[in-house]
Amino acid sequence: MIITAKRDLQELMENIKNYKSFFLIGCSECASLCATGGEPELKAMKETLDAEGKKITGSFVAKTGCQVLGTKVELKPFKDAIAEADCILVMSCGAGTQTAVELYEDKPVYPTNDTLFLGNMTRLQMFDERCSLCGKCILDKTGGICPVTACPKGLLNGPCGGTNEGKCEVSPDIECAWVRIYNRMKRINKLEDMREIAKPKDWSAHKKPMKLNIREKKEEAKK
Amino acid sequence: MSFKNAFDSGKFVVTAEVGPPKGTDIKEMLHHAEMLKGKLDAVNVTDNQSAVMRICSMAICKLLLDMGLEPILQMTCRDRNRIGLQSDLLGASVLGIKNVLCMTGDHPNAGDHKEAKPVYDVESVQLLGIVNSLNNGKDMMGNEMKGSTNFFQGAVVTPEANPVEPQLMKFEKKVKTGAKFFQTQAIYDIEKFKEFVKFARKFPVKILAGIVLLKSAGMANYMNKFVPGIRVPQDLIDEIKAAGKEGALDAGIKIAARHIKQLKDEKICDGVHIMAIGAEDKVPAIMERAGLL
Repeated sequence: MIITAKRDLQELMENIKNYKSFFLIGCSECASLCATGGEPELKAMKETLDAEGKKITGSFVAKTGCQVLGTKVELKPFKDAIAEADCILVMSCGAGTQTAVELYEDKPVYPTNDTLFLGNMTRLQMFDERCSLCGKCILDKTGGICPVTACPKGLLNGPCGGTNEGKCEVSPDIECAWVRIYNRMKRINKLEDMREIAKPKDWSAHKKPMKLNIREKKEEAKK
Repeated sequence: MSFKNAFDSGKFVVTAEVGPPKGTDIKEMLHHAEMLKGKLDAVNVTDNQSAVMRICSMAICKLLLDMGLEPILQMTCRDRNRIGLQSDLLGASVLGIKNVLCMTGDHPNAGDHKEAKPVYDVESVQLLGIVNSLNNGKDMMGNEMKGSTNFFQGAVVTPEANPVEPQLMKFEKKVKTGAKFFQTQAIYDIEKFKEFVKFARKFPVKILAGIVLLKSAGMANYMNKFVPGIRVPQDLIDEIKAAGKEGALDAGIKIAARHIKQLKDEKICDGVHIMAIGAEDKVPAIMERAGLL
């Protein structure tokens, strides 16, 4: 899921200081689990803005805020409340924010969160980054542990000289990705695979902005 | 004699380090370089070491070359992508720089520009492969070049890393991608180092043992605690302590000289790489006491 964190309130207030009325959009998926854009957070935001003398014209927790068409349909009943607001605050990720930008071309839209990473939820409200969305998966070569993500240097050919009793030079809180891979490969009897030299990564596999159109591909296949 | 030829001649090879300063005042650095001139087989020029921004390695290599020293260009993958690295390698080549040490490089987190975007487009093993490719007249994509490089390329290894096996696997990869010589992380336990050399001797590469001058017992304790892959045995720390505050540096020089002499006399490895870390002016004294001058 996409991990978000609340932005500094002062920064947010500075962004919206010239607006008086707001419509809030949350998201029931990732942002709810991150406690940044679910019902309780929208309620808290209303109270905060109330206290600042701002008006809330309405609010809604979208089912999946990054789904543009679905969100558009869901927000139809709020047409008037949105029209009445000076500005929209989106309490989900950067993708959700840009859904609103696409749907309301004439309305200022501000994010209340910073978007951090694609994460696994390890326990309630605890998240770890495991995948960098690099476009060309190498988990098949590394025992299923991603060094592009887990190693701060993204090394592909083994640990650097900064590996320290299984910890990383960048922080003792980080497990050395390559010691983890080494231990895992040993456990699954694949240690010999670690001798294979990884070529420089093809970063063009993630050429921004990425696009994928499965529909077009299907139609092509039909022809 | 070139660095490569020094190995070929069979002599005990000695290298040391010059650290480019932050800023354009290079008087002190040039003074150190002058002191080392004629004594070493080559001198490393560090590449923004510890991720602290300084003068680039290539410019200082060229100055040393003009002074008559044999520089080793340290190249890390932290600050340049594959285009920048190859372009700088070609640049170094036309400036007459013949030796390159390929490293991944300390993370920006260690330095004074912590907000920098780390590059690591390629890493040490792959950079060695790139050098190999340029030496063979092609860029890393296989495009023909007009004129090839002729680098003598090396790498680093940490023989006392724990666990050591992945480190040794990486060492082998570095050999396979073209490393001709290795400079090791600081070693203080010669008996343990012998085990590493026994392994390394299976490969056709030259090994320079890393010698870091101990300037005080505090420094030794600090390295044991904070520097990955360095272990200073307690008896050496005691030896420095016994020398008192005044005599600590001299005791450190004595230890370094003793280790170098043993490595040479017992023909344990092909030479040493002396890292004096801020006490570059002591390198001649170390060499003298080791019987190298």
